[in-house]
Amino acid sequence: MTVLVVLLALAAGAYLIAILESWAVHGRLEPARPAISALALLGRESVLARTPDRLFFEAGPILLLVAGLLAAAVIPLAPGLIVTDLATGALFLNAALAYVLVALIMAGWGPNGAYGMIGGWRFLGQFIAYAMLIVMPITAVAMRAESLSTVTIVQSQAALWNIAYQPLGFVLFVVAAMGLAWLPPLDLPTAPGDLAGGVEAEYTGVRLAVLRLARMVLILALAGATVTFYLGGWLGPWLPAPVWSALKILIVAGLMVSAGRLVPRVREARYLELSWKLGIPLALANIFIVGVIALVVPI
Amino acid sequence: MIGARSGALTGLRRLVANALARDLRGFVVPGMDVAWANGLDLAGTGLHLATTPRHASVLVIIGPLPAGLADAASVAHAQMPRPRAILALEAGDLAPLPAADATGALTQAGLVAALADLRRTIANGAFGSGAREYSAPALETRIEYTCPMHPEVVSDQPGNCPKCGMTLVPRETAAPLSHAGHAMPDMSDGVTAETPPDPVAATHQHGAHHPSGDTKTMVEDTHAGHGHDHAKQTDASAQYTCPMHPEVTSDQPGSCRKCGMFLVPVEDKDAHAGHGHTQTDHSALGSHSDHSAHGGHSGHGAHGGAEVAGIEAHFMSMVDLTRDMPASADGLKMEWIDVPFGPFFPGLPGGLELELTLDGDAVAAAKAESGVSAVNLLREAATSPEAFIDQLAALSPLSPVAYRELACRALEQAAGQNPASDTASARAAAVERERIASHLNWLAGFGTQSGLHWLERRAAGLQLELRHADARGIAALTPRTTALLRRLHRTPLLHDKLNGNGKHADGDALSGPVARAAGSTSDARSDNPVYGALGFGVLTGTGGDARARLTQRTGEIAQSLGLIARAGQIAMPEVQNIGSVSGKGEAIVETPRGAAQLRLTLTGGKVTQAEISTPTAALVALIGAMARGRELGDAMTAIGSLDISPWELTA
Repeated sequence: MTVLVVLLALAAGAYLIAILESWAVHGRLEPARPAISALALLGRESVLARTPDRLFFEAGPILLLVAGLLAAAVIPLAPGLIVTDLATGALFLNAALAYVLVALIMAGWGPNGAYGMIGGWRFLGQFIAYAMLIVMPITAVAMRAESLSTVTIVQSQAALWNIAYQPLGFVLFVVAAMGLAWLPPLDLPTAPGDLAGGVEAEYTGVRLAVLRLARMVLILALAGATVTFYLGGWLGPWLPAPVWSALKILIVAGLMVSAGRLVPRVREARYLELSWKLGIPLALANIFIVGVIALVVPI
Repeated sequence: MIGARSGALTGLRRLVANALARDLRGFVVPGMDVAWANGLDLAGTGLHLATTPRHASVLVIIGPLPAGLADAASVAHAQMPRPRAILALEAGDLAPLPAADATGALTQAGLVAALADLRRTIANGAFGSGAREYSAPALETRIEYTCPMHPEVVSDQPGNCPKCGMTLVPRETAAPLSHAGHAMPDMSDGVTAETPPDPVAATHQHGAHHPSGDTKTMVEDTHAGHGHDHAKQTDASAQYTCPMHPEVTSDQPGSCRKCGMFLVPVEDKDAHAGHGHTQTDHSALGSHSDHSAHGGHSGHGAHGGAEVAGIEAHFMSMVDLTRDMPASADGLKMEWIDVPFGPFFPGLPGGLELELTLDGDAVAAAKAESGVSAVNLLREAATSPEAFIDQLAALSPLSPVAYRELACRALEQAAGQNPASDTASARAAAVERERIASHLNWLAGFGTQSGLHWLERRAAGLQLELRHADARGIAALTPRTTALLRRLHRTPLLHDKLNGNGKHADGDALSGPVARAAGSTSDARSDNPVYGALGFGVLTGTGGDARARLTQRTGEIAQSLGLIARAGQIAMPEVQNIGSVSGKGEAIVETPRGAAQLRLTLTGGKVTQAEISTPTAALVALIGAMARGRELGDAMTAIGSLDISPWELTA
């Protein structure tokens, strides 16, 4: 039952985010567009590249979808409304997200084309750049909650949301999440301007539909993680808990999808430089500050 | 519809066909810059643009399809998934592409009508019996047989090697052009592992080619494949060495005297440098290699498959694997791949064929050619002045007015005419209006390239309105233009992205915004009294990088707005009746991309001789040095910032 509710919520969320993304790209708000586009994608031929690595080519998009779904499984939408409340939920989320990298490399390598391959390798090159900034802020969040359970993490924010408690961690986490979901301006693996679609370039038809859906699920899972870790999850006055979750997740996902389009695509070298030289020290500082606050001020 | 999917249009498929008709994804040939310069607003018609033909459903051909792009366009068409269609706006002869599914005039109204037409066609014919196979001649291949040990032995038939008696192995090679029509039949001969049952899908097996079609590489490599280059091939097979002991060499196959392993043939370094060779893995099969051109790659199906026909079973030693590979600047030996970008690449000017040799994601070498540069200034021995002006204006679809002005000025000088000063300044204003539109067009392209969709939309929309506006209309558009430029310069991270990228050593031949952004004061307008009367002063920048070029162009937009305001009126360049005078004329005009110079001879009122120099060649020459050693994205930004018009590349 819970699984069904979560899946339906993901589907609805993916649809809304797709509308928003289409607006950000084409400048028009067309509510029916994602449905039409999806139907059209299903109607198009799914072309197999000439000499593909068949296993990687087929498995890449599906693995990405699985990784997104697994990550979503530990996001609590309301008390009791979570697919599985693992004691190590935050760690599990990390583990699930690690497969995004694998899936993208497979999808880039599989079709045996230069654009896809370079896109996949670019993502591999960025691994430390985003992965450290995902895991280190989570560490600080877990320190405050004294638990890795996502439900406990939400409950730990009853007095004060983490966005106020550790704003630095919030900013780093959102930026890293955008990198992980290759959202503009960090859309280097697909980079329409210099890789003509990159890892997506050789996928058509149903396979492309799966790849795009998987990315939507991943964006929602990451937005859900942001809400869980920093925005108090389902907590909020007047409205029922699931409504708060849905609202917050949609707003965060919407901002992640659209805000980055106001700046040009970040250069690969610059992204790595900022992430390694600035991001990681800041994330360490965040852990230190949160540690000190947690010891001194009991909130 | 020729590009339909096979199957009856029933039930659910009807619904899907309607969705397909509404969700058109266009791939534009030669490029969006040409579409914008022709005053077309594709996005405004609800046509979404695809960055690769793989994601497109309509091949939109804008204006006459240049002969040099026909093959590339046919490759792009072959890459599109079915159902696919062709929409041609005054495209002329499309061969080797199939007939267009919808045609129209090269105007916004023509585009809208053709799209409506196309949507009906797709809704009714996305699935149907009209489906026909299509394969681009540029992609056709045939199977030939060769000896694994003696590459010079090539046969059309399976059999044994006359030299060593080994069984010949099949490989795929580009079809010779003369046989292009019937080169496909052997495709299903068990050579390609992935032959699909569906004949319609079979045409798509050409895998990972990209918009470019890169026929050049194919032709080159066909020679190697055919064994035409006997000297090189013989050299290559004359040496054998041990995979473990490179110092052991022999001119005979045999065993290593140190370890007893079988000796393997040494391959000619030059023949393979940058292409990767047979025993290497994935990256040698970059998109262009899939054109089947690289002889000996046949049956390379699975990356992991060790036992592949056509490849000697090797001991996989790193020494052996990397021996012939070029080393990067950091000394790391790595496989280099040649990747075609263009001629229809979304981040580059349409028609520019760029080939980058990639060392990982860094550019090791770059070369550019134009697919649209076939320029014949004088189609007839003696051309009438009016026809000559039209021909020169048609030279570049990106800046026809500047070339029209150039032709007029040269003709007037030859005929000894002098236009009235207000006419001259109105004509100068027309050139300036085009400069604004051209720079905005470039800004829109920069928006596409760097993911700034708002910039693409607004700059493209603005240049569409500006392109044909009169002086008053331009005055009305001025606030919006300056607002756009202000917003652009306030864009966060923009200068960070462009700073220091694409610097160039001072080139004497260089002119235009690229030269002025580096501090040069070369501007053909500064010697022109007409511009002097309008208060023109050369605008220069500092830095000479991509950021300086952006700033230079936005500065020139503002400057040209001022010049038009002072000129007060706009008139298209034209010459008065010249009569039957004879004489020589020479003129120079500052086009949006630099100074273009024309010399012509009038004999009895007809143009009998003409010679032109354009700014493009000097810009193309910058590409190699600018891209070398840069990360791919940076190299593309740098090349994009040059604003090259491949149309003006004269022979």
